[in-house]
Amino acid sequence: MSMANTSGIDASGRRDDEWSLCLLKVAESDRDAFAKLFKHFAPLIKAFALNGSALAAAHAEELVQEVMIKVWQKASGYNPQKAAASTWIYTIARNCRTDMYRRLQKFDTPVSADDIWPEVESEELFIAVQQKRDAVRIKEMLEQLPHEQSQILVKVYMEGKSHSEVAEALDLPLGTVKSRVRLAMKKLQLMAER
Amino acid sequence: MINYHPDTRLLNEYASGTLPLAQSVCLSLHLNYCEQCRRSHQQLQQLGSALFEELSPQQVDDSVLRTVLSRLDEEPEPLRYSNDKAANDDCPALIQRLMHGSYEDLEWKNISKKVHISRLHTGDVDNEFALYRIDAGASIPKHTHRGTELTLVLEGGFSDEEGHYEVGDFIMRDAQQQHTPTATQDRDCICIGVLDAPIRFTDWKYRAINPFLRLQAS
Repeated sequence: MSMANTSGIDASGRRDDEWSLCLLKVAESDRDAFAKLFKHFAPLIKAFALNGSALAAAHAEELVQEVMIKVWQKASGYNPQKAAASTWIYTIARNCRTDMYRRLQKFDTPVSADDIWPEVESEELFIAVQQKRDAVRIKEMLEQLPHEQSQILVKVYMEGKSHSEVAEALDLPLGTVKSRVRLAMKKLQLMAER
Repeated sequence: MINYHPDTRLLNEYASGTLPLAQSVCLSLHLNYCEQCRRSHQQLQQLGSALFEELSPQQVDDSVLRTVLSRLDEEPEPLRYSNDKAANDDCPALIQRLMHGSYEDLEWKNISKKVHISRLHTGDVDNEFALYRIDAGASIPKHTHRGTELTLVLEGGFSDEEGHYEVGDFIMRDAQQQHTPTATQDRDCICIGVLDAPIRFTDWKYRAINPFLRLQAS
């Protein structure tokens, strides 16, 4: 294993790094940096809401507001060595969308999304470097996935559908959906074979 | 050493937020014990993030930015459960919160003389979330499932026809799989069971109970 690239600069190039730097400025309460971040990510968060359940879609701009305010409040905890800005913002959006859905359905629950997906971060630099590499590889490999596999991942992650719901939507047997996901995991080199 | 893990479907549905609440809590508790699955989950979040960046951006009106900017100075909502310190380090904080205390504080009902159940409120009305306490050496009578059963060992260990499970191990059983979980001889076993349909006892001695095993999800 080479020791290169431990500086925290993302190997995927400038784009990610630009947003990480921007987020660091937001952490110092820089409102101009926040507006810049907003202009880039708010339209993605809105798309994420519109892709989700009908309930989330009906409250898309509310979700945009909620996520971006959380970004502002939590920015001081952001560490660019551990995650790209986009991953950090995506997880906030996922958590908010999940909580919002349960709130709108009037779930009476003592559990919030932050409890279900705790931020357990490894302190080891080695792991952080690994994670950065994973992120770069996943992005590259995702483009090479056959459509029949990536289409399913989009439905699971962006539309929030279970594997059975995906099977129904695409008129495929559940077994086929499961095996395509497994194939995609293998190609993306995610998870040990189970 | 954790030997039994959630499968690919469960991990993907957990990471994407599509898994029902009670099942997500069970997965989350497994991650609490399992480094390997924590890492898988982190990778799946990166996958989600890569897909997120590929979405086609939807126009957001400038007025939304102005509204957000005007709200930035609002005090953050206090965390509802701000890192409440775990009273007992061996027991995950999330389960302590659902129990409102420790195992001793719960109201346990007897399934048999040596098997006890305590159902916990998660807010998921489709999935029953319960703790089972099996006295050392005792068994849950042989049963099958009408739906899916997720199990996570919290204390002690148990064995069934397919293996032996220790703290942190995660097991999924589907309809038709018949088993007789038996706690190890040396100590009581406590585990979580998440059910989306009632179990069905197959042993003739217990069959009469079946009609009364209604799911109690809350």
